[in-house]
Amino acid sequence: MSTHHQHRRGRTAPRPWRARLLAALGACALLLASGTVAPSASAEDGDGDGSGGDKVLTVAVAQSVDSLSPFLAVRLVSTSIHRLTYEYLTNYDAEDNHVIPGLATEWKSSPDKLTWTYTIRSDSRWSDGERATAEDAAWTFNTMMTDPGAATANGSFVGNFAKVTAPSPTQLVIRLKKPQATMTALDVPIVPKHVWEKVDDFSEFNNDKDFPVVGNGPFVLTDYKPDSYVRLKANKDFWRGAPKFDELVFRYYKDQDAAVAALRKGEVSFVAGSPSLTPAQADSLKGEENMRVNDAPGRRFYALATNPGARAKDGTKFGNGDPSLLDRRVRNALFKAVDRRAIVDKVFQGHAVEGAGYIPPRFSSYFFEPSAGQELAYDPQQAAELLDEAGYRTGADGKRLGKDGKPLDYRVLCHATDPNDKAVGKYLQEWWGELGISVTLDCLDNVTDPWLAGEYDLAFDGWSVNPDPDFVLSIHTCDALPATPKDTGATDNFICDKEYDALYARQLAEYDAGKRAGIVKQLESRLYDTGYMNVMAYPNAVEAYRTDQIESITTMPSAAGNIYGQDGYWSWWSAVPADSGDSSGGSSSTGTVIGIAAGVVVLAGLVVLFAVRRRATADDRE
Amino acid sequence: MSSPAGTEAGPAVPSAAGKRPTAVRREGRAGGGYPRYVAGKLAGAVVSLFAVLVTSFFLFRLIPGDPVKFMTGGRQVSAEQLATYRAEFGLDLPMWQQFTDYCAKALTGDLGTSYQFHAPVVDKITEALPNTLLLTGTAFVLYTALGMFLGTRSAWRHGGLGDRLHTGLALTLYSIPSFWLGLLLIVVLSVGVDPIPGLFPTGGMESGREEGLAQVLDVAHHLVLPVVTLVAVEYGQTLLVTRSALLDEMGSDYLVTARAKGLRDDLVRRRHAVPNALLPTVTLVFVNLGRTVAGVILVETVFSWPGLGGLFYQALSVPDLPLVQGLFFVFAAAVILMNTLADLLYPMLDPRVGR
Amino acid sequence: MSAETTGTPVEPGGPGPRALARRRRRASAARFWKEYRRHRAGVFGLAALVLFVLVALTAPLTVGSDVDSVTDAPGQPLESPSGRFPLGTDQFGRNLLGLLVWGSRVSLLVGLLAAALSVLIGALIGITAGHFRGWYATVMMRITDWFLVMPTLVLAIVLATVLSRSLGTVVLAIGVTTWPTTARLVRAQTLAVESRPYIERAKALGGGHWHIMSRHVLPNVMPLVLAQTTLIISSAILAEATLAFLGLGDPTVVSWGGLLQDAREAGSVSSGDWWYLVPPGIGIAVVALAFTLCGRAVEAVLNPRLGVSR
Repeated sequence: MSTHHQHRRGRTAPRPWRARLLAALGACALLLASGTVAPSASAEDGDGDGSGGDKVLTVAVAQSVDSLSPFLAVRLVSTSIHRLTYEYLTNYDAEDNHVIPGLATEWKSSPDKLTWTYTIRSDSRWSDGERATAEDAAWTFNTMMTDPGAATANGSFVGNFAKVTAPSPTQLVIRLKKPQATMTALDVPIVPKHVWEKVDDFSEFNNDKDFPVVGNGPFVLTDYKPDSYVRLKANKDFWRGAPKFDELVFRYYKDQDAAVAALRKGEVSFVAGSPSLTPAQADSLKGEENMRVNDAPGRRFYALATNPGARAKDGTKFGNGDPSLLDRRVRNALFKAVDRRAIVDKVFQGHAVEGAGYIPPRFSSYFFEPSAGQELAYDPQQAAELLDEAGYRTGADGKRLGKDGKPLDYRVLCHATDPNDKAVGKYLQEWWGELGISVTLDCLDNVTDPWLAGEYDLAFDGWSVNPDPDFVLSIHTCDALPATPKDTGATDNFICDKEYDALYARQLAEYDAGKRAGIVKQLESRLYDTGYMNVMAYPNAVEAYRTDQIESITTMPSAAGNIYGQDGYWSWWSAVPADSGDSSGGSSSTGTVIGIAAGVVVLAGLVVLFAVRRRATADDRE
Repeated sequence: MSSPAGTEAGPAVPSAAGKRPTAVRREGRAGGGYPRYVAGKLAGAVVSLFAVLVTSFFLFRLIPGDPVKFMTGGRQVSAEQLATYRAEFGLDLPMWQQFTDYCAKALTGDLGTSYQFHAPVVDKITEALPNTLLLTGTAFVLYTALGMFLGTRSAWRHGGLGDRLHTGLALTLYSIPSFWLGLLLIVVLSVGVDPIPGLFPTGGMESGREEGLAQVLDVAHHLVLPVVTLVAVEYGQTLLVTRSALLDEMGSDYLVTARAKGLRDDLVRRRHAVPNALLPTVTLVFVNLGRTVAGVILVETVFSWPGLGGLFYQALSVPDLPLVQGLFFVFAAAVILMNTLADLLYPMLDPRVGR
Repeated sequence: MSAETTGTPVEPGGPGPRALARRRRRASAARFWKEYRRHRAGVFGLAALVLFVLVALTAPLTVGSDVDSVTDAPGQPLESPSGRFPLGTDQFGRNLLGLLVWGSRVSLLVGLLAAALSVLIGALIGITAGHFRGWYATVMMRITDWFLVMPTLVLAIVLATVLSRSLGTVVLAIGVTTWPTTARLVRAQTLAVESRPYIERAKALGGGHWHIMSRHVLPNVMPLVLAQTTLIISSAILAEATLAFLGLGDPTVVSWGGLLQDAREAGSVSSGDWWYLVPPGIGIAVVALAFTLCGRAVEAVLNPRLGVSR
């Protein structure tokens, strides 16, 4: 063996080595060449877009799809795709969010509110040609009621269902155990029974193997590559009318900045932002040609929640919130030392509205502003006085001492993935540092655990508010507390206040919209005074799209609303392709020319290199 | 003495000494023939794989966070429902039982079910693995070829201007953070800085619009920048090791003899010095390949490449324990397999070892 | 390796053994420096390091500790470079040149501490495993081998995730994952030293384990450890930047890696704000390169046959 190898080494080894090197360099050349050829390929398609070929709308998303099964998916990107591919019983109007027909054309409830009858439309067809009927809807709900695997995502909607039947193809009857408020807002995708009844295990079926996926929404799911893209084709037979674009592609970008760069180049038509574009991105895009930045009043509030002493309904206390925060004066003093104006100006750079009441001003009828006397205006001096008054005085080293004699040091729970949390956290450290209070920023990828365990002092908090604010109000009632420390309650941050609960019950029973809005404002006023939820700002929904690719698109609400993450399929269904494919085609063909030129130069360089090497070899042979 | 830089799993510092794995020499000398050597190496690899399996199980139990509470997304869930979920994922069993179940399943190729994707971990990994292999494989071939080629040239003309330039450049690129280089490439070559147009895509593996040949070209187009980044930060090490291996070899008697015989320098280099010097470099090459699979996390993050690195990062933030465990196992297994392969190949290539 | 520090047995008579040893070491240090000076790259690296260390040490005087204050930020968000702000400002309006100088402190500190931890663990395990042999050495080397196959970055990411986000965590994550190389090098050197006859003599004269390890082995592995340290600092600085960039660093502390992460989050890649993106990366690269150059020069001095930087 030894001699054999020595022989090989001495005689033949050099040649294969040389050949391998050449092959590798060849591969390198090929790679570079393909890199420069590819733009021409896509540019051809781009030209095709302009001249009546397939019109493709590409949307950059930052979330990866968790599942394409409507029974499992909970992430926004996945539920948005389900909105586009399956009809729900009802939908929401793009103008003002009121409930409008979806798969059901009309609905009525029995006088005791326990039986709901839906009329199912007869003009909706599955993409494989079968008619969508009440039987499909009944099967979908029944599956969720009987199979725990199918109840993973939307089980909460059917928890109160007694029986679901389909007496005829156009009639769906749901019997309830007790009245339920969400019966016209059942956000459950209805799936085709004839396809889905073959599924064995709903907890592991992800609906991502057989394409196209049979659906009846405005788009049909035709292709999916994990962490890469989701591709949908327009459903030309959609009962509400065909979408204007022929194809819709959701492309995944891990990094928002890469997505913005892609938008700038025209690789994508729309960037959603997660949850919105940064001020720097928005400002730099605003100056661009063919670019529209949609800076819509947001439906979110951005707040600082304090831990009021976590507890369960059975009275058990848990968690380890700082006892000093149980004093309202301390909470108010902390918030008085927070300059909301500076947060809006510096952190959001104007892409937000200064915080006041709990519900964002976008929902004007419920928007609450504290009165002059009530307002916890920015006043560090007063904040220091309040703290002194509450008995938290500064020690020798300028640090405020707690009742146990130790310096106050608050843990602030922040989301490691949210730059705003980290930025505001830095301000808090300095503002509260002036008061003599230390702040430890506890930035985690996943805050769920300490949050649910009540192991924090303060936390960055935020919710998207629905047109009907019932849900975001309900999460601060005593009723939302977990039953025992082992359960997970609906509560946001363990607030339990008798006065608040009384007002909450009153607004729930009030049917007059104006009067109800009045009570809701009182509710917000109470919440403001307690100092448990301190709203710092209402961030705008900042998104951008290319006007040379999208001519128009519906926002929701249509006046000044957002595009991505709507409660409906309006944006993508309504988007109109821009006619002038020329502008983008022009720039990309310039790119192609230069790209090819660069490729030629590189190839020429390689050829020269090889030629020189060859000649050297030839010299040797002589 | 030789540094194990070549067998190192981490960011190895380019060291001239890192060319012969100590392990090979030690056991090679003690061994009784190649088959026995192979058996020893394979047994060692199996033990290492098992150790990794054990580690991956226990290490990730340390991550704070209740996966069940995360899965329910903070929604209102009763204690019974939480218990049901725990039972479904086997989280209610005592630790040792979870561990034996895990091992038993792993032996049958079942690494559990991902919490967040509701799919078998093995499926998620096999989805992403080809993408990572495409990226690392292409980069690997290129930086190895480039490193060896330039390393040979540098050594032969060592001390010259070209040598100093190449060595300096290699060391500089080696000191650059790969993610930063990637970001700069995106700014310059993808977004475009006047007058340079943005020639390459900003991220992802394909645009999702093409089919057939156009799709292949599309993927190749997306591949360029991440590959260039990887090649730039990785080729330096191969260059330096090749160079110093060759410098070592060039002092050898037989080369002096060969030259004294009147053979041309170029011929001496190609026929004798290079093949001999490259043998030890081969081990480094394999070890690098195993290492690159794990080291690609950064480049995948910067370029939104749908590979194992991105998956790992997503899984870690949940924490999606089965997926994290599975990926960690794959990363470590890649290093172990490549190290073993290098160990096995080494005596075949270099007869001085393993006899 | 390290031929010049070979412990020649102490001759009886003449100056005392301590003084002799001291004189010998001083002489070898002088010889070392003379050799080192001949490596131009190494001298350049050393000069760059001295410069950076000076900048970092004098930062409290030159830029002041309130440079990272967001409430007193002097400029507007994301200003481009100007006379007042030579490197522009970040998204809070803070002076980026000041932050760059201030950030060098953390990057250097973490790099040094992590490398120190790594080399400490490595040297300890290496020397003891080389000295004690037997089952202890077997177990230790098994552990070392096991750490060697662990993907370093993956392991460091996991550690940084498991523990809370702080500088200590980063130091620990890097230190704990990078020591095995040193351990193997030191062990091999220890074995070589201990096979020399004078160790036998020392043992016969009643020298205990501690005496042998601290008086004979340690001085002989020190040069090697020194070279290894400089090389590890270089990778530790890169690792710190990497972890900070992945968002695993302490978000309230300014470091070069953290600045890059901030730049990316603020959107400077797509907006082309190069003044935010470029300088921290250059800082990292130059310091890492400087340490590598020094390490290679030291290695070359100790083992001229390697011919690294000739």
